[in-house]
Amino acid sequence: MKVFIMPPNSLILYDLVERYGHTPLSLMGAISKRVMNPEIESPPINVTPNDVKKGLKYAGIEVPSGIRGRLAIWGPLVDEAEASIIMEDAPFEFGCVGCHRTDEMVRFLVKKRKIPLLEVRYPTSEDEAKVLVSKIKAFLEGLK
Amino acid sequence: MPKETETRMIVIAPSSSVTPDQITRLIHTLNTEVTVKETCYGAMVEGGKEEVARVLDAVRKLDPNRIFTKVRGFPIGDARRCRAHHGSRPGFTQLEKEWECLSLIEKGVASAEKGEVTAEAPRRKRITIDELKRIVEETE
Repeated sequence: MKVFIMPPNSLILYDLVERYGHTPLSLMGAISKRVMNPEIESPPINVTPNDVKKGLKYAGIEVPSGIRGRLAIWGPLVDEAEASIIMEDAPFEFGCVGCHRTDEMVRFLVKKRKIPLLEVRYPTSEDEAKVLVSKIKAFLEGLK
Repeated sequence: MPKETETRMIVIAPSSSVTPDQITRLIHTLNTEVTVKETCYGAMVEGGKEEVARVLDAVRKLDPNRIFTKVRGFPIGDARRCRAHHGSRPGFTQLEKEWECLSLIEKGVASAEKGEVTAEAPRRKRITIDELKRIVEETE
């Protein structure tokens, strides 16, 4: 099944989803399609004005273009997802997850879709990591 | 190069004794048509999807619970990201943070493999204002 991960560029979630037999829907995958596409506008642009228009499907015109630009990439992933794992407590300064409003919007979009959803937190200790992995494993095995 | 290419990051957990050099040497010995680049956190591999998957299978065998991978959006050496061309690396803080977590995750993966029963400990809560007042009064 296709599992949307949040943070969408998370190494831990990407690896665990794949390890337990599912397809992760990640930001890197979406970006890769854009970057490798020869028709994309010249570097360093990888979000085009058209993308920002596409973002209108997920957020209103009054929403800042940065959020709409992000949603133009994340939104279709949420639409495609059959399940989702959200890992909270990601420090907000993380690169492309740096926009907290986009994070909130994506959480809303995921919950609105009513797909199987697992909400976990970044581990801070060994015990928390064990609980995290066992929860993710149980969730992913339950999807089969 | 094959039609559908993929770039993968191979990240070694800090608790592993495998080195990036070992990984790149192993990939070179596999005799596959992939490009490999040794990095500080592990390695990057680029090539046809199936070939990359085969390489990852072989690499994972070195230390299954301590080697993690994810797809990379930009190809190896892309001028927009490569530091040799003064590219930016906006995802590096995320990678650095998660790399630190990998030694914890590795224990989680091992525990899940063994089927250990884990119970969630209650998370620490913020102290109440009354509690804070009591502590302040006690220390005065």
